[in-house]
Amino acid sequence: MPVYLKVLITLADIIVLPVFGRVTGPRIAVMTRTSRQNPSELSQDSLFLPSFCDIRLVFAVVVIAELLAFVLVLANGRADPWNDLGLVSLFMQWIALSSAAALCLARPLLLKISNTAAVLASYLLLLLVTVLVSELAWSMGGLEQGSGAPGHIEFLFRNTAISAIVSGLVLRYLFVQHQWRQQIQAESQARVQALQARIRPHFLFNSMNSIAALTGSDPQRAELAVQDLSDLFRVTLRNASERIPLDEEIEVAKRYLRMEGLRLGERLQVQWDIERLPRKRLVPSLILQPLLENAVYHGIEALPQGGRIVIHGAAEGRRVSITVRNPRAPQGLASHRRGNHIALENIRLRLQLAFGNQAGVALREVDDEFETTLYFPREKAI
Amino acid sequence: MKCLVVDDESLARERLSRMLDQLEDCEVCGEATDGRQALARVQALAPELVLLDIRMPGMDGLEAARHLLKLDNPPAVVFTTAYGDHALEAFEAQAIDYLLKPIHPERLQQALDKARRLNHAQLENLAHESGVRSHLCARNRGNLELVPVEEIVYLQADQKYVTVRSASQKILVEDALKALEQEFGDRFIRIHRNALVAVRSIRALEKDSQGRGRVVLEGVEERLEVSRRLLPDVRRHIRNST
Repeated sequence: MPVYLKVLITLADIIVLPVFGRVTGPRIAVMTRTSRQNPSELSQDSLFLPSFCDIRLVFAVVVIAELLAFVLVLANGRADPWNDLGLVSLFMQWIALSSAAALCLARPLLLKISNTAAVLASYLLLLLVTVLVSELAWSMGGLEQGSGAPGHIEFLFRNTAISAIVSGLVLRYLFVQHQWRQQIQAESQARVQALQARIRPHFLFNSMNSIAALTGSDPQRAELAVQDLSDLFRVTLRNASERIPLDEEIEVAKRYLRMEGLRLGERLQVQWDIERLPRKRLVPSLILQPLLENAVYHGIEALPQGGRIVIHGAAEGRRVSITVRNPRAPQGLASHRRGNHIALENIRLRLQLAFGNQAGVALREVDDEFETTLYFPREKAI
Repeated sequence: MKCLVVDDESLARERLSRMLDQLEDCEVCGEATDGRQALARVQALAPELVLLDIRMPGMDGLEAARHLLKLDNPPAVVFTTAYGDHALEAFEAQAIDYLLKPIHPERLQQALDKARRLNHAQLENLAHESGVRSHLCARNRGNLELVPVEEIVYLQADQKYVTVRSASQKILVEDALKALEQEFGDRFIRIHRNALVAVRSIRALEKDSQGRGRVVLEGVEERLEVSRRLLPDVRRHIRNST
């Protein structure tokens, strides 16, 4: 008998888990979408119970009930278990489907109360359904003929006890799964926040210094610089998961390079070659600017004579790519390289959070040039 | 007080020079755009104080300060930096003054008031912060002579000094060969108890009339002996690099 039980439990895992998984899958997506628009609404749709109105979940309930019927019949240890199975199955399915229906109907009410109260309420609801269905089955008769026929009260008590245990287990499972899901979600939210691109403080203070110098010698340029710098920092303060049109990201990048041009003068030359980019494509903000910041910080700034940064945009097939090429600083300044990779890894993760595996960052060293390419799928333009 | 302003950014130089000119006892005698130029200007203009930006291309501020100490009468140094270079903590520890850009006039005045020469101990303790030098420096009849590390063909120890040889220069430095090997280890390979050669300068390995190994080097006439013990190492290195 224990072998049967083990097999059944494994079966239950195999059949039920994927169904629950599939049922809960789209829900997560919906929640992330709402929370993206308004993070304060995060807890709104967080009832621990999945929707029992969903046909796939009802199917899972049927399967579980049937497995439970098997267990009960096998546990009974009669000589001819198959005889009992039909009746027990029928009874179990009654209770299971009625319970699912009750939870489906009660869902709007359960949504209004706290999760702890909802656990208690649904538990009591399940017990109530069991009692009612048992009572109904008893009154329809036919049950008392069974061998060792139990009395009315015993019948009710036995069913309620079984229901109390099974309902408790199921609710407990759903509750834990819900908590786990919430945790995953909170973690990914935190990750996006942590990944939010930041402009190097180094750049801020150097720019401030340039502006301080310009206020004395060229107030008009100083004013422009203050405007550019403000716009740049506004971008960094945006919500991490907000998307902006590629156009806007390019504008940010241009402002950034204008600021650096102020500081580096002749040493910084820039060539834009981006006519082919789909300008309306929505992208996470600050994906291009950090590449340029790297190009300046590790390339141009480290070279006494400076150099040229080339930004090349391409849209081939279903893929958009932007390549930033810059001259490489001589070896020996290799210690600065580490920071470079952290920034690139950050962009790669943010692109993949936004577009999945079709997006990423690639880097290449060609002769004395350094080349970074970011790529992502072309669709979903507004 | 004669001051030299060193920064690779023209706006930064402009502002600092303007501020210094406004101070009473201060005169800006010149500007430089990197460490190397700074060394030349210091020798030509003999300033009493150098305001030295830390992050510059070519030779950075920390390295320039180290080379300045070779002078008989080195100027006082105040470092400037825009933001939290990792070296700043070490500066604090060594009581070396630095100014954060954009610089406050009062802070500048304070720094000038207490400006003083750095000493070897302070800079030695900073050595690991400033990383690998871009140049080796020696003093020759009062002048600083610099050899860019990437041009060095070999380093050969002889008694107290190490000969630094490039295609066009030959200087004697006081650094120990072992220390140089540690600092520039990936660039040079030891071929003998007393010699390191630049990996990229090795042309060939040959035997002299007595059967001892020698390396043929690019850009210089002399051939250096390879010790028997290190011969397999050198051979392997040559094979790997070709």
